[in-house]
Amino acid sequence: MNGRLKLIFFLFFTFSFNSIAQNLYSGTVIDENSEPIFGASIIVKKNSNFVQTDIDGNFLVEAEINDILLISYSGFKNLELQLSNDYELNNIILKEDIKLLDEVIVIGYGNQRKEILTSSVSSVKGDDLTNEPVLNVTQALQGKAAGVQIISSDAPGVASQVIIRGLGTIQAGREPLYVVDGILTNNINNINTADIETISILKDAASLAIYGNRGANGVIIVNTKKGGEEEIKVSYDNFIGIRDINYRPVMANSNSFVTYSNEAILFNLLNDSNPNNDNDLSAFFPSNQLYNTNWLNEISQLAFQSNHNISASGGNENLKTFFSVGLNQEEGILKGSELERATLRSNLNYKISEKIKYSHNISFQLANSQPKSFGVFTTAYKQAPIVPVRDENGRYGSSVAFNNVGNPVAQLDLQNEKQRFLKLQGAFKIDYEIIDNLNFTSRFSVETNHNRFYNFDNRLETYLSLEPGNTIDNFQPTDPEAEQIPETVLYVAHSNDYRWFFDNYVSYKKTINDSHNVDITLGLVAEENKYETLYGSRINVPADENLNFNLDLGNNNDGTEGSGGGFSETRKLYSYISRLNYDFDKKYLFNISFRQDASNFFQEKYRYGNFYALSAGWYLSKENFMDESIFDILKARISYGKLGNAQIPSLNIVRYNQGFSYPFGTNQDVQQGGTVTATVQEDLSWESTYEFNFGIEFALLDYKLNGEIDIYERINSNAILPLQLPNTFGFDPFLSHVGEIKNVGVELSLDWNESINDDLSYSINTNLSYNKNELSKISNQFFTNQTGGNINNGQYTKRVSIGQPLGSFYLYEIAGIDDRGEFVYKDLNNDGEINENDRRFFGSYIPSLVSSFNLKVFYKNFDVNIATYGSFGNKVYNGKKAQRFGNENIEQFVFNNRWTSGRPSTNTPVASNNVPLSSNYFLESGDYFRINNFTIGYTFEREKSKLFNNTRLYFTAKNPLILKRFSGYTPELPGDPMGLAGIELDAYPTLSSYYLGINMSF
Amino acid sequence: MKKNNKKLKILIAVFITVNLFTQSCSEEFLDIDANQITANSITEEQAVELVNGIYNIFLSWQVSSFSWNGITSIASDDADKGSDPGDTGSDKHLLDALNHDATSISVAEVWEGHFNGIQRANQAINRIQPFEDLDNELKTRLLGEAKFLRALLYFRLLQTFGELPLITDTPDINSPLEELLSRATIDETFLFIESDLIEAIESLPNKSLYPNIELGRATKGAAKTLLAKVSMYQEKWDNVLALTNEVIESGEYSLTANYEDIWKEIGENNEESIFEIQAKGAIPSVGVDKYSLTQGARGEGGWGWGFNVPSAELLNSYEENDLRRDATIIFRGETLYDGRYVPESVVNEMYNQKAYSSAFTEFEQTGKNIRILRYAEVLLMNAEAAIHLGGDVSGPINQIRSRAGLNQLNNPTQLDVWNERRWELAFEHDRYFDLVRQGRAATVLQSLGKPFVIGKHELFPIPQQQIDLSNGILTQNPGW
Repeated sequence: MNGRLKLIFFLFFTFSFNSIAQNLYSGTVIDENSEPIFGASIIVKKNSNFVQTDIDGNFLVEAEINDILLISYSGFKNLELQLSNDYELNNIILKEDIKLLDEVIVIGYGNQRKEILTSSVSSVKGDDLTNEPVLNVTQALQGKAAGVQIISSDAPGVASQVIIRGLGTIQAGREPLYVVDGILTNNINNINTADIETISILKDAASLAIYGNRGANGVIIVNTKKGGEEEIKVSYDNFIGIRDINYRPVMANSNSFVTYSNEAILFNLLNDSNPNNDNDLSAFFPSNQLYNTNWLNEISQLAFQSNHNISASGGNENLKTFFSVGLNQEEGILKGSELERATLRSNLNYKISEKIKYSHNISFQLANSQPKSFGVFTTAYKQAPIVPVRDENGRYGSSVAFNNVGNPVAQLDLQNEKQRFLKLQGAFKIDYEIIDNLNFTSRFSVETNHNRFYNFDNRLETYLSLEPGNTIDNFQPTDPEAEQIPETVLYVAHSNDYRWFFDNYVSYKKTINDSHNVDITLGLVAEENKYETLYGSRINVPADENLNFNLDLGNNNDGTEGSGGGFSETRKLYSYISRLNYDFDKKYLFNISFRQDASNFFQEKYRYGNFYALSAGWYLSKENFMDESIFDILKARISYGKLGNAQIPSLNIVRYNQGFSYPFGTNQDVQQGGTVTATVQEDLSWESTYEFNFGIEFALLDYKLNGEIDIYERINSNAILPLQLPNTFGFDPFLSHVGEIKNVGVELSLDWNESINDDLSYSINTNLSYNKNELSKISNQFFTNQTGGNINNGQYTKRVSIGQPLGSFYLYEIAGIDDRGEFVYKDLNNDGEINENDRRFFGSYIPSLVSSFNLKVFYKNFDVNIATYGSFGNKVYNGKKAQRFGNENIEQFVFNNRWTSGRPSTNTPVASNNVPLSSNYFLESGDYFRINNFTIGYTFEREKSKLFNNTRLYFTAKNPLILKRFSGYTPELPGDPMGLAGIELDAYPTLSSYYLGINMSF
Repeated sequence: MKKNNKKLKILIAVFITVNLFTQSCSEEFLDIDANQITANSITEEQAVELVNGIYNIFLSWQVSSFSWNGITSIASDDADKGSDPGDTGSDKHLLDALNHDATSISVAEVWEGHFNGIQRANQAINRIQPFEDLDNELKTRLLGEAKFLRALLYFRLLQTFGELPLITDTPDINSPLEELLSRATIDETFLFIESDLIEAIESLPNKSLYPNIELGRATKGAAKTLLAKVSMYQEKWDNVLALTNEVIESGEYSLTANYEDIWKEIGENNEESIFEIQAKGAIPSVGVDKYSLTQGARGEGGWGWGFNVPSAELLNSYEENDLRRDATIIFRGETLYDGRYVPESVVNEMYNQKAYSSAFTEFEQTGKNIRILRYAEVLLMNAEAAIHLGGDVSGPINQIRSRAGLNQLNNPTQLDVWNERRWELAFEHDRYFDLVRQGRAATVLQSLGKPFVIGKHELFPIPQQQIDLSNGILTQNPGW
């Protein structure tokens, strides 16, 4: 073993050895965070001998073998243990008694005891995430915290969309900021869930202001595990599972399709302006069809996935390490799509001296994926069942003769794409206790992402797949002078981002006269973010499977200007942070925080931003007059502050654009021309959100029932919206701070914990969040109602208007069906014609109520966990059904219920090939309620010994049951608010998954 | 305690040092991203490019192509919509029948394109004006070019729409709409154009003073010719006469010997050319978007969409032996000067030869320069002014007639001058405006069965969308 390896071994695994005295037993008492407990009492039951731990948690007690020790400390659960020869007294862990609400909460740049917290923070323990199979952390957070709406996606490697306390912006970034071990990052997609110690979700201004212009969408802080002081402990977790589409719409079969389509063709012939074609039978489908393809079955598969995780943790008083390796393999439900992921982590805490501590958290995340376009789900929905996957000659079946839908299987087969992600994160921290109560922290952290993307476009194969008549010979244009079409195009893109953070802060904690508690944090943080992309393409790269995406194999660039290029940007931020906590007797609580951000990515005038929050709390149940009340805990808190959202889409920079060239001179040499096209106001900067929060925390019935209620109002006072100027000004549309977006809501979170006896305990947890969203003000004359939700057949579905929630659907309203079977739309303005002015609002895709209900039962060695999630009050648009051009397939119930002259229908129109208008016919309720997770586990327990071994086996079902009203694949439709969010078009279905798993520790 | 104090001092010292270090770096640290340029930064190259960018607007579809032909030709008696009966060209059938309205796309495009060009001119003027380090000669010329081009854009809008909002700066979007979009009176609009042109005349060099590589830029002669034309629209005949005489006497220009040659590749920027839109046929080409394509022969053996075709009325109006007839009109079955045979299979009997490009014929952008001002028009304006002021009319008119292969007129009347103008300048984007200016649009167009309404059709309607966006501050023209 060479020196370097020895060192690594030393850092990762460090053992401690302790000797035990004959009659004098020594030991240490620590808490779950491995911090020593000072003043814990140790009582020898037999003779009531009593000692206390010193400042380092050490104690010495006189006792004999088989004596029982009772160890207790206020705020922690009592522990009894019997002395035996081989029992380890070093690192006796006392578990915190959560009843007392003195949990430590991770907040920005520090920790705080929940007892004196004056802000709204939801906390999730890592254990809650590792007892069940979790691939994606954000998805696992669904239902775990009030005020957090998570629109999950079951696609491999796709992050869920997280919205904290309502959508507060339409043009700027909507996602919260993630902070992993102090590193500010924009996703936690590939983090290993098993490494997570705690997650804190910061929701109100009091907790968020310390993050300044990054705080407006909320912050999710993830801290990873650190090693304990005990001997090395190795854990192994593994699960395997299968996944399948939860709901498959029933499509018309070939017979129904032929009947419906022929009716539609006839309808269109009879109703067009040409009377001569009424008897034209040429386009009709014959009734004896050879094929009856179920396209959804053809494109999808039962997806297998597996996950392995090994972690080792351990250490001694001075050195604690945690090391883990995770491996994950996941197939997508679309044939051929898959994701592989590996993660590696090394965390270390090293006490250099009594005053100086060093720690680092280093992780490495690697993912390879082979994505497939979600558009195939739409194609499979629309493609006619009479088209074969492959015809009798082995060629892909084609429908070019009668509709413009591709062959879904061919689309999957011919999509040849790969994505590779590499993320490295490292945070290096030094804590220095300069004098008592005064601590200096310096942390340098880096994150770098390398993403690579390859696409191999085999145009010849695609051409051949389009219709059986296409051959290699007629691929190239007949005109010999015409430009040759490339047979293949290889496109490769690399993007890198690199960022570093340098955080320096001091914190001072002091208790004066036993009742005035002061906690001050002051600091400077700086960061730099660099983004770079580089891409290129080549044509006629050989279609060899082993080509390994090598651009040099191609002979030419593709002749367009876009055949190569790149982009680079640097963003820097330099900020002061400060926070002051003061409480009197932990009864009257005050907090002020302030951050000043200076950033280089805004215009000079708008470079500095000040963000702040004020908050206060009153611990009512500590007052004498509350002694007789039913409340074990009653605390009220209030906060107000200002936050920013710097993730704006672009700056209104005076951008000088070239490209307006013009030829001059006898030879007409082209000279470059330029102008400024796109901006009139250089004032685009961060959006400012003002948030008010009032909350109550309580505990009742001997701490069995714990709860929190929060009400809030968040106002984005200068939301960015597009302005369309009259053409008279000669400028392109541009963005400006002209809107005000308001979110008002209530959150309720209740926990019931009860231990009935030693064998049976259970807990019930429920979270309810209600949010009302509205574009409340527009302050400029040039805002024209922005439309969106375009479903690519010339129809839009959404509009942004004052007084309406964001993401509101704006549609024609069905009045009924006329005597020809066609929809009649309501003439809402009574002007005798149906036009744009007859649309109205039908509500938004954003739910108003999100709820969850979780039950955990522990009986002997069994554990059962049931988690449910419900989302209510929103609408979803069935885009795949609405996006018709002609001769697409329909669902069986549309066929069954269609209007015919013999059987008039009141809800489904006549078969027709007209492009339907965007109407409420396609709008459905988005309400759903489902069982997110059902887990049953059994733990095999060995006797407590020096080398003990716990093994837990479990079975999990995810989404075994979904109650929904929507007729499509899934009511969970993430996306851009003015794009496809809430519209089911090219959407990934919700899956049901079943897993077997094992947790082992050595 | 003493020890602690010492440590505290050390801490404070460290903290302050760290703070100062980062603080002093912070200004540099936050240096602005190189992707940004600040509002006032400008270089000599950019100054030239800003002006080139104004010229570039004349290559656009909106300013020079389909819609502009619709308004200036198809709506007049010189041209018909053409193409297949079923292909309306959006609204070209409505323009042909004078049934267009404020929602017609042609008026919207012409409005949008020209005001976009005016914005480019404003950007150039307002950024070059305060640029002190720019070479004075270059600066004067560039400002002169920008003002000439702004005047040209405004004049064409005035011809089309009448009174206009006069925009000279980047609008403050928070100003009241009245300030931003109210239309000036017609006199104010003319005055605005004239003052730009007077400055251009003072600033610009003569055509012969430009180096070869800058051929095509606005000249003193171009500014004088345009000012003469603007004066003619106000019937300021003294000015018309004086300015055209100056251009004639400058010796910079003369008539091309062969009329047809003017629109060939060899005729570009020749001795007759005063101002033309430059287009380069090449791959990639830099030309006027679909100008030739929309007017090219349609159908089998053709090369275009077949719009804006010469009317029978125009064909029949020519005097016998007028060389300009065949130079202006492509006939079905004809073999063109470059040897191209126009087969009988094309759908229309006649097409506009002045838009025909011999090279890159089927391309969206051909090398066809569009002639905006040429010496023949100077002679025509000179003659028209002489009619009013009693000067030499026959001199200039007969120069033009003799080139066209026609006999000399001894005593040309006003109608003779007007007819000469029609034949000489057919399809050169003036016919509709000329009829209105001459006060006989109603008579001429009504006689062809077009529903010209006096007091309405003299101007085109302001685009409805622009009126809506202005909350009605932008007023509609009478009758629309």
